[in-house]
Amino acid sequence: MDRETRDMLLETADRFFTERCGREVVNGVEKGAWPADFWKEIEEMGLPLIAVAEESGGAGGTLADMLSVLRLAGAHAVPVPLAETAFANLLVSAAGTTPATGPSTVAFGTLALAASRLSGTVARVPFATVAQRFVVVATASDGPKVAVVAASNATIENMPSHAGEPYGTVRFDNATCEFVGPSPVSVERAYELGALMRAMQMAGAADKVLATVVEYCKQRTQFGRPISTFQAIQQMLAELASYVAATIASAETAARDADEGGLAEGGSFSIAAAKSQTSEFAQRIAAIAHQSMGAMGFTHEHILHHYTRRLWVWRRDFGSETFWGEKIGSAYAKAGPQALWPALSASQYAV
Amino acid sequence: MSIPKLEFPPFHLPPEAEALRADVRAFLKETLPGIKTEDRFASWNTASPEFSRALGKQGWIGITWPKQYGGSERSFLDRYVVTEELLGNSAPAGSHWVADRQSGPLLLRFGSEEQRQAILPRITKGECYFSIGMSEPDSGSDLASVRTRAEPVPGGFRVNGTKVWTSGAHRNHYCIALVRTSGQHGDRHKGLSQILVDLKTPGVTIRPIINLAGRHDWNEVTFSDAFIPESCLIGNEGDGWLQVTSELAFERSGPERFLQNFYVLRELVRVLGRQPARRAASILGRLVARLWTLRQMSVAVAGMMQGGKSPAIEASLVKDLGTIYQQDLPEIARVLAESDATTEEDIADFLDITQYATMMAPSYTIQGGTTQVLRGIVARGLGLR
Repeated sequence: MDRETRDMLLETADRFFTERCGREVVNGVEKGAWPADFWKEIEEMGLPLIAVAEESGGAGGTLADMLSVLRLAGAHAVPVPLAETAFANLLVSAAGTTPATGPSTVAFGTLALAASRLSGTVARVPFATVAQRFVVVATASDGPKVAVVAASNATIENMPSHAGEPYGTVRFDNATCEFVGPSPVSVERAYELGALMRAMQMAGAADKVLATVVEYCKQRTQFGRPISTFQAIQQMLAELASYVAATIASAETAARDADEGGLAEGGSFSIAAAKSQTSEFAQRIAAIAHQSMGAMGFTHEHILHHYTRRLWVWRRDFGSETFWGEKIGSAYAKAGPQALWPALSASQYAV
Repeated sequence: MSIPKLEFPPFHLPPEAEALRADVRAFLKETLPGIKTEDRFASWNTASPEFSRALGKQGWIGITWPKQYGGSERSFLDRYVVTEELLGNSAPAGSHWVADRQSGPLLLRFGSEEQRQAILPRITKGECYFSIGMSEPDSGSDLASVRTRAEPVPGGFRVNGTKVWTSGAHRNHYCIALVRTSGQHGDRHKGLSQILVDLKTPGVTIRPIINLAGRHDWNEVTFSDAFIPESCLIGNEGDGWLQVTSELAFERSGPERFLQNFYVLRELVRVLGRQPARRAASILGRLVARLWTLRQMSVAVAGMMQGGKSPAIEASLVKDLGTIYQQDLPEIARVLAESDATTEEDIADFLDITQYATMMAPSYTIQGGTTQVLRGIVARGLGLR
């Protein structure tokens, strides 16, 4: 979609999330409630179908459009599988079928697919217990496939994430697939795109953490004046802003590179670097935010933890800085010292 | 929420800038092996008149300036590419660096026609070098408190005072000094002016200030009744503060704020070998990711500047993050190499490199605006002060 259309969509979605995704919804999900109305409204807005072609009932948006919505969802701690469903829908529509309605999720791991039967176990699948179906990418004898398995055909163990979202371990035991089609991406690439999705959600959450903390420090009065007027606090918040800026910049660059280079392989290096960067700074962001807000920010009542806990969980999802760092480091070591600058300045693993 | 959005819109350097990159790389590949310097790992503060003249011949100094002053009238983004290639390839660009980055642009903007014609073409040829005359013994971060006084006398000024940390004054031709030309010491921003000082002027004495690593980069420049002709006033009398703030912006946002010790990362790749252990690869990759992010942020700032914006906060954030990264780098690299090597002897050479980089690292968060001053600027941008 063009710039103007996207900005309008983002503005509408921002208002919608502000009104309909308040703390009670986020806290409710942590207690095990499923916000059915909220999900229904998300579907009515067409958000899970944003990157699905118009002929398949979608909005015909690009990967970049989808990622910009996910960044926004991150900034509102949207506690439903919007990211996962939008991504799953993108995969199934590219594989040749019309996405179904209802929440879906993606499960990437070591899976065996043969004759439309799927076997294997994937741990820490986001929203495993609320998704109606699992969308996986698995390699069959004739290449990578997108396969869809109904939730009723899988064994699901509920293991909520530390952000209180219903993650879980999913076991496929020769499970019947509802659909199998040629995958537009390899298994590794699917995981990489998952990392990109999380990097953008982290950019949104980081942005919100900064805004929350700045607002709080301007209002909180101690020793007779707002604590934002103390140099010690100003220095901390400026440092926080630098980490947030790095998080946003790296994620947005990776999103652009992925979009421009195409779904199958665009921005491979940039995504790795961005997920490493966003994951590495998640702790610095959370640490300064909590220190600035004192005991207040450590309570369950305050919303700060909606964002800091998600940063801590999302940095682990789809590979932490350790995982992506190793990938980059191995490639750069293999290419040798003279290739370092040319590769880095070209945003490539090797040139 | 009322705070300004921090955005670094991803930016592509245009094709003509990327084409220039290939030319610069080819030039450096051919030229650098023949250049001898006193530094084992050269950078933007390693002086080499020989290299600067060769670069000037290519038309790559003052690359954005008008042709009538020897420039090439190319874009700011072309200059960005030349700068980062010099840094990424450890070119000894110290002789012309300050002249190209800030003194020339300052003269172009505020200087008289006579000053421009006399000096800018020599800068572009790589033959005329500049020092920065801002800091004084009692004026560091608080620059408005400068005491050096230029008293109007017939035909010019009589200058008295002392400048310190004046990099390269013993090698360079000129210094642009921030001095008080009117009013009193307590007047702060009012009554300050910038003057062009020929460093050979009688009454100007240059003494070395040796840094902790034993290097002679800095100097103390003393003015004792030095006569500076009226024609050497830059811009209007009393506009010095305005001019110096715009000059500081040039100093802040460039890739030298995260590529100064790039050699540490390159040598780390060498010492780890082609197949490092998983943990070593991971730490290396994380450093690469941080540097990549800094570069993307810096390119985004360049893009915003090219688009006519003045992203002061964003530039300050890049400098803050970049200098902290450069201080982390030698430490992370040292510990990684130590834990990865079988014996310390195997990596003795690399440990020398990191030792040197560690000694130089304190300067990064001081020069070009201390981290604390920059964070004050960012805090103002966040609406905290």
